[in-house]
Amino acid sequence: MNEGPKIKPSGDSALLVEFENRIDPGVNRSVRALALTIESDRPPGVQEILPAYRTLMVTYDPLQIEYPLLAEKIQGWLNRAERIDLPPKRLFRLPTVYGGSHGPDLDRVTQLLHLPSEEVIGIFSQTRFLVYFIGFICGLAYLGGMPEKLRVPRLATPRTLVPAGSVGFAGGQANAIATDQPSGFNYIGRTFAVLYDPTVFPPIPFVAGDEVTFPAVSEEEALKVKGRGAGDFL
Amino acid sequence: VKAFEVVNPGVYTILQDLGRPGYMRYGIPASGVADRFSAQVANLLVGNKPEAAVLETTLFRLELLALENLAMAVTGGDLSPTVNKNPFPMWQAVSIQRGDRISFRGRKKGFRAFLAVRGGFSGPRYLGSRSVFSRGLMGNALKPGEILEAENSVVRPIYDAPIPLNLIPDFSPRPTLRVILGPQQDRFSPKGLETFLSSEYTVSPQSDRMGYRLKGPRIEHVQGADIISEAIARGAVQVPGDGLPIIMLWDAQVSGGYTKIANVITADHDLLGQTMPGETLRFKDVTHEEARAALRRQEMRVEEVKRAIAG
Repeated sequence: MNEGPKIKPSGDSALLVEFENRIDPGVNRSVRALALTIESDRPPGVQEILPAYRTLMVTYDPLQIEYPLLAEKIQGWLNRAERIDLPPKRLFRLPTVYGGSHGPDLDRVTQLLHLPSEEVIGIFSQTRFLVYFIGFICGLAYLGGMPEKLRVPRLATPRTLVPAGSVGFAGGQANAIATDQPSGFNYIGRTFAVLYDPTVFPPIPFVAGDEVTFPAVSEEEALKVKGRGAGDFL
Repeated sequence: VKAFEVVNPGVYTILQDLGRPGYMRYGIPASGVADRFSAQVANLLVGNKPEAAVLETTLFRLELLALENLAMAVTGGDLSPTVNKNPFPMWQAVSIQRGDRISFRGRKKGFRAFLAVRGGFSGPRYLGSRSVFSRGLMGNALKPGEILEAENSVVRPIYDAPIPLNLIPDFSPRPTLRVILGPQQDRFSPKGLETFLSSEYTVSPQSDRMGYRLKGPRIEHVQGADIISEAIARGAVQVPGDGLPIIMLWDAQVSGGYTKIANVITADHDLLGQTMPGETLRFKDVTHEEARAALRRQEMRVEEVKRAIAG
């Protein structure tokens, strides 16, 4: 029997709502529906509403609202969330240059998969990735929908610096990293659209539930968008 | 107005205010001062609002040249602050003349000191806050030769007496941090939970504003250390596969995939801000009621300082 979502404390100022323990678009949809329901009815003391793959964290000020009362309210919101309509998905098409210096792992990935690079690029660039949620550091979008044919492990030794906009994958996950940072993913291309800018609001273009594709373009085309926000590519 | 020139930025000195809560869903930690009580008191002493930006400096060696006649106050850990090599009192506003040199000559107690200047430090705001968070491209640590400016909006008179002694925290070493267990305490064996709650841990040198890595007895899991990634609350005690806990703090990543055995209560985060690598700490589990009472007491202490200053 399905017991339904579990509510647990996560310290004195946050609680966690756990849905089914798997990475799945349907489970994530329930997480986002609950997030939207709470946002539309935000009581005093509720601070941040943080969806992830299969959990929702709600942070709060315990001097304004106590855990048992908030947990009870969450139960009510869970019931309402089942009937809520989610906003339509937005699709970002981020022009991406593949291979060469922009995709240092492309050759290795083609060897590991025994596929020609045109096919790796073709499959990847035609995939619509779902933004499960935003997290890690500086607006990392956790992307799902990685095609089965392109499953490769992480690098044994992570690169110490991967430039912002690099597009890559490992295991069942994909990402386009938002700022220069270390990473153990396999990077096969790069977009020059700006994915993170703390001087504007919102600082990152995506929200949970959006979709992203990385259409293949020439280096010249890719460089033309340098400095433009990813929001221009809806 | 130009307030100071940075002669020596010290071990690590940054501008911080009370942070930028509300952006975790964009992957951005709230940051903010590592000891909220001390920073707020420093501001109140010089007539600022408690949330004004202050300098947060670590250990020693920060040296500033005053470019103007100023009022300032230093609170937090005792890092032996001096003016022209003469010690001056902490937890009290002091007047500084143009040409004076302020330096922090060595740590005696605590780990981080806070320097507030009358008017509050100015500096670029990112997403509503002046808190520096370099990894997120929001400002940098101080550099030699940098000029620090203060806002000249005068707010309240300066309170030049020391605040009552009983309001000054003592930053005793070997703190016991109160925690609420969970959210994944069921992923640890009874022995693992016992280890966590009964052992002494040492703060490792690989600790910073993102997190404190601890060394000590390894905590036993029951079914692996990994979970599907989810949001991380401030103060979360993550235990990766090696069994050694990491406390996630002010500049921590906002999501991750390791089991969390417990969460340090909000009222005890300031204590962590004054605990330095090499020092030891312990954990004790408490209820939500105890955590809330502790937080209320902490807020009351700020109110008491405000009352003392208002006379």
